Amino acid sequence: MAERDTTQDNRGYAHPEMLVSTQWVADHLDDPKVRLVESDEDVLLYEVGHIPGAVKVDWHTDLQDEVDRDFIDKAAFEQLMSRVGISNDTTVVFYGDRNNWYATYALWLFRYYGHEDTRVMDGGRAKWQEEGRGWTREVPQHPTTTYTAKDADPTIRAFREDVQALIDAGDPALVDVRSPQEYTGELLHAVGYPQEGAQRAGHIRGARNIPWGKAANADGTFRPVEELRDLYIGEGITPDKDVIAYCRIGERSSHTWFVLKYLLGYDNVRNYDGSWTEWGSLVRSPIARGPNPE
Amino acid sequence: MDRQQYIEYILDHHDNPRNKGRLDPADIQLGGGNPGCGDLITMYLRFDENDRITDIRYEGEGCTISQAGGSIIAELAEGLTAAEVAELGTHTMNEEMGAEVVKSRVRCATLALGTLQAAAKLYMTNKERVAQGLPPVDVPSGQFAVEV
Repeated sequence: MAERDTTQDNRGYAHPEMLVSTQWVADHLDDPKVRLVESDEDVLLYEVGHIPGAVKVDWHTDLQDEVDRDFIDKAAFEQLMSRVGISNDTTVVFYGDRNNWYATYALWLFRYYGHEDTRVMDGGRAKWQEEGRGWTREVPQHPTTTYTAKDADPTIRAFREDVQALIDAGDPALVDVRSPQEYTGELLHAVGYPQEGAQRAGHIRGARNIPWGKAANADGTFRPVEELRDLYIGEGITPDKDVIAYCRIGERSSHTWFVLKYLLGYDNVRNYDGSWTEWGSLVRSPIARGPNPE
Repeated sequence: MDRQQYIEYILDHHDNPRNKGRLDPADIQLGGGNPGCGDLITMYLRFDENDRITDIRYEGEGCTISQAGGSIIAELAEGLTAAEVAELGTHTMNEEMGAEVVKSRVRCATLALGTLQAAAKLYMTNKERVAQGLPPVDVPSGQFAVEV
């Protein structure tokens, strides 16, 4: 396990050990205890250039099962870890494009299979680029490892039954992190994206709309802890509740899951990766349209 | 070509874009894309009297595949007639970029091609309308990826 980035400690986050700065990464490029993992929406961005030593984990081809709508299983995860040279005690630092959407998505899955030391490079690719730090096209060849994954952690992943149970219990702490247009039902996907993926538009009945981007600064870094607290508590998403975040396919909500879980320290927060593409197509699922939760 | 060769070909177009820029005046210009995810392509075309593309330029911004696709199409389409442009399709991009890459982001990969086809079609429509004494129509930017 690599040393912590102690420059994060004065930011007031519940788990500052989950973040590293771009400078920390630059200082640890040759640290054998650290493995940088790049996960992007742009599927060839890694090939265009990546941080020296970083490996690519493609959210689609590496993390998804090819047949079932599910993630790779434990054995496949172990094979992936071996292939990219990650051991059980490796410090894995994630970064990527789009404000670390897919970086936090990959981190979430790594946690799902019990990898202990996972961190996010705050600001992602954009900040590294903005600071004029270098890229390389050299694909590293890290020695393969023997990796033993843990059983999947059900406490961070929600399924549709879990969402329904929250609704049935009343006053559900559901966070819809999509854009207001998607939440109200005006669009099935973010502006400009193909309007596909669900049979119905709207939001899960009872969900609050807190777009993921409200947790990010303009440079892609996470907003100050006080602002994050105000953002979520102001919408009734308090740390005492059982919280489930969702979006369209679970990538944007991974960003929010990370914020709630590690920056604000909520004990019970899950990511619903089925998200709107599932809920919006389920027969008789409770849906609401318009700007209000109900 | 194997996957790695396709990727190197795509990166070459990404790094050294062909026919990038604008034509002023152009016989037709048309914007296409997905502004929400940042993929934009504008095509500029000039035709000769036989409806053959004599000059083509593109401008754009967005992901690696969409922008490399602009360069690939801008190089490939020069010298084709509007009718030949209409015959292009996803198979064209599969041949140029490799089916695996195209499949992973089909809308990005076909954005430039779809925009080119829409522009060429618009050019022919307006040519016909003008011949009939009708005013040309204007088409706003749209999402012109090739549907599969």
